[in-house]
Amino acid sequence: MGDVFSLVYRNIRERKGRSVLTILGITVGIGAVIALISIGYGMQESITAELIEMADVIMVTPMSMEFGSFGAFGSFTDRDLEAVKRIGGVKEAVAMRGVTEDIEYRGETFRVEVVGIEPRDMGAVFGETVKLEEGGDDGGGTTGRELRDNDHKACEIGYSIAYDYFSDEIGVNDRLTINGSKFRVVGVLEKQGGFRSDVDSQIYVTTRDAMTILDNDDISIIFVRVRNIADAEEIAAEIEERIDDNHKLDDFTSAMTMGSAVEQLEFIFGTIQVVLLAITSISLIVASLVIMNTMLMSVMERTHEIGVMKAIGAKNRNILSLFLLEVGVVSAIGGVFGCIFGVIGAHAMSFGLQTALDVEIAAIVKPEVLLGGVAVAMLVGVLSGLYPARKASKMSPVEAVRYE
Amino acid sequence: MIRTENLTKVYRMGEVEVQALRDVNLEIQDGEFIAIAGPSGSGKSTLLNMMGCLDKPTSGAIFIDDIDTGMLSENKLAEIRREKIGFIFQQFNLIHTLNALENVALPMFFAGVGRETRLKRAEELLAKVGLEDRVDHKPSELSGGEQQRMAIARALSNDPEIIIGDEPTGNVDTEAGNVIMDILEGLNREGRTIIVVTHDAEIAARAGRTKRMRDGKVLD
Repeated sequence: MGDVFSLVYRNIRERKGRSVLTILGITVGIGAVIALISIGYGMQESITAELIEMADVIMVTPMSMEFGSFGAFGSFTDRDLEAVKRIGGVKEAVAMRGVTEDIEYRGETFRVEVVGIEPRDMGAVFGETVKLEEGGDDGGGTTGRELRDNDHKACEIGYSIAYDYFSDEIGVNDRLTINGSKFRVVGVLEKQGGFRSDVDSQIYVTTRDAMTILDNDDISIIFVRVRNIADAEEIAAEIEERIDDNHKLDDFTSAMTMGSAVEQLEFIFGTIQVVLLAITSISLIVASLVIMNTMLMSVMERTHEIGVMKAIGAKNRNILSLFLLEVGVVSAIGGVFGCIFGVIGAHAMSFGLQTALDVEIAAIVKPEVLLGGVAVAMLVGVLSGLYPARKASKMSPVEAVRYE
Repeated sequence: MIRTENLTKVYRMGEVEVQALRDVNLEIQDGEFIAIAGPSGSGKSTLLNMMGCLDKPTSGAIFIDDIDTGMLSENKLAEIRREKIGFIFQQFNLIHTLNALENVALPMFFAGVGRETRLKRAEELLAKVGLEDRVDHKPSELSGGEQQRMAIARALSNDPEIIIGDEPTGNVDTEAGNVIMDILEGLNREGRTIIVVTHDAEIAARAGRTKRMRDGKVLD
């Protein structure tokens, strides 16, 4: 095989410029696919990792809730909350009363979700994932403090409320007008982003203030933590049944475990990735056409050589395999470069997302994706080269030898 | 032995039919050195292509060692070209990307000979035609005569019984032409059948027998 490889190598070198262009075509195609897959894995990972941290959580909402927004399909009562708390295996059940209100600050008004919650329950809901922002206007330490049970007309605000919504930044001890009443900001929550980005755009007040001042009795979410993650699905089913019984309705309640949320997200991301891949595949199709064109030209140019090889005893399949080997080598090189550029591209995209959109997604490069990339490159190459190579192999030796 | 029976070849050039060979009957014995002479267009190259299994007859038959080559598949024909026939062309037709050694080894590669064996044999064959110090040279680095000798070494690659030369001295000077003829005579002495097409009377004179062709027919 040695001298065949050297023949193939020399044929590739002989037409250096064209080989480079072909390799480039494959590099771009494979690179794009690998970059997208790697960034896709990163996206999936960053979101599911957060959810897995909350694997013991069940989110109970009226009707099926969309991620991150409080449903507008009815609400729960304190009786429902008590019922949930009585279910075996439930460690904590926290009621959240969310309602969208007009928030006014220094003459600007926005509609923002205001959530009433028992201050002591905040830890149960947010665990370690939501912290008061470190540092801040008061120089070092946390920005303000957490809500307390006896707070009156006080609120903790999400990061985006503090820094993004209004022209002026809102700090601790500033006052907001919520639905006509003045509330004092006691703390600013740390930036969440990702799956929990809804927290960034919310304002938290005590349950008492929510009920008395904002006149919001309705529980929009019951946030449940279970003792044993293995029981989560079972408990979720029981929660749905109990609350549905209370309301004498079917399918009124949706209790979603984070496990099933992860599955759903994975499905969504899987779909997104397939769509992205389909789009990127166009670049592979283009690469394939480039290869076919190059090979056809190459076959035509080498007609005479093919004739000579046949005259000295080459069978059709010798010629076929010679051309396929050539296109295979070119595509493999393209595939390897594609991997390199794909990895660089994925990291560049990750960096770009971080700087431009402030979204933290680390590219995840899987070895099997790289191997797959090279394999796909070779497959595309060999498939595209098949027609030209067959054409070459089928040439009549006498006509091919005569061809100048 | 090569034998033709009413061998006829008709080419279509667009609308026009060209009768390249008309009822050619010819027998070439094993170990013969035969020259086929004639003006261009007389059909001698077509006849050579038939005898070299590069082309199939329109009608009639051509037998190589009693095998009717017109009945064979393309693959079988390739096998015969590979095993029984060595080609020498006027234009040398070497693979310009390969060096002398690789060019000579190529037919052995197609025959599935192992790398060690074929490189060793290629070296021996190059020595046989006096190119032992040109092993690493590309065709373009050699003179016409040297290139033709390289082509002869390549033709000998799979140790064929028949050597077919289409104007083998047509593209080299007289001196180099004589060297080539010397080599061909040597090969004939080894017992190989040599068939050479030429329109050079001097070259034809060195063959054991000369057949003349005109208008697709063998004269005499």
